[in-house]
Amino acid sequence: MGFFDNLFRRERQTSAQIAKERLLTVLVHDRVKLTPEMMAQMKTELSEVIARYVPEAEPGEIEVTLLHGESSDYLKADIPLRRSKISH
Amino acid sequence: MVRVITITSGKGGVGKTTTTANLGTALALRGARVTVIDADIGLRNLDVVMGLENRIVYDLVDVVEGRARLRQALIKDKRLPDLYLLPAAQTRDKDSVGPEDMIALVNQMRTDFDYVLIDSPAGIEGGFRNSIAGADEILIVTTPEVSAVRDADRVVGLVEAAEKGPPRLIINRLKPQMVSRGEMLSMEEVVEILAISPIGVVPEDEAILTSTNRGESVVFNQQSRARQAFSNIARRLGGEEVPFMDLTEQTGVFNRLFGMFGKR
Repeated sequence: MGFFDNLFRRERQTSAQIAKERLLTVLVHDRVKLTPEMMAQMKTELSEVIARYVPEAEPGEIEVTLLHGESSDYLKADIPLRRSKISH
Repeated sequence: MVRVITITSGKGGVGKTTTTANLGTALALRGARVTVIDADIGLRNLDVVMGLENRIVYDLVDVVEGRARLRQALIKDKRLPDLYLLPAAQTRDKDSVGPEDMIALVNQMRTDFDYVLIDSPAGIEGGFRNSIAGADEILIVTTPEVSAVRDADRVVGLVEAAEKGPPRLIINRLKPQMVSRGEMLSMEEVVEILAISPIGVVPEDEAILTSTNRGESVVFNQQSRARQAFSNIARRLGGEEVPFMDLTEQTGVFNRLFGMFGKR
């Protein structure tokens, strides 16, 4: 990268960088081979298990995503908890 | 001992046939006895790329079904005495041949050749499976485009599932100027994404088209950059350590400026 490139492109991603990120994400999905049905089923079962241990969990709100990471890819589950009833 | 090497890609149009023809020629120029097989049954193409389309009498399906002996069907190259083509059938469909036929076919070649290169059809169905059935090694061709790289990744998975050993990668039609502008994936990035080891990178080169127009291998075109790339791949297949071509273009400040605004 030369001086002018740095000057004009500091903020903007190049199309090659965008291509790489998009490919890495799509390949995580391709490689894991989770169908949308399996994903939905997994979320349902996860909700059941979590509800047994964490009553505050919002069963309908679980988000499961596949992500590309630096050293490994991972399956990320976000489970929001209800705040109102938590007492100390 | 022969090495049976299938050249495949998943996506069509990335240069499998051109790679097979030029790699076969480069290997034969280095003194190896080579047969290239067109496994794309119904869509015969390797013959026209090699300029041998007028010499076909028998084809792969004739050999498999016993109408011709292998020796009768093999077509000798116009220039190189140790380079042969086994053409695909044009009027049959790809179900005329099964994986066991392909294994039996390449087994007939084990004694007389050093390399058998198989040009695979695009896709991941029967034709692809036939083309890898008899292979000892697999080379996957891709271009630095998202669609081709994605399909290459599918093929990597299928090749590994077929227990053919780790495939090696050829990155074809790379445009160095676009890479240096950050507008095309580099060889290193494609290798990182697919996580398989590269055996070659071939720059985009108009000489490929002009050679193919004439039915000649670009390996005979001394000015061509692609010629050097294919020769390097042939040497690496032979076990030599050959550094990858330096494809970084030295573009000036003004070129970069114009390139940035899409005016090149």
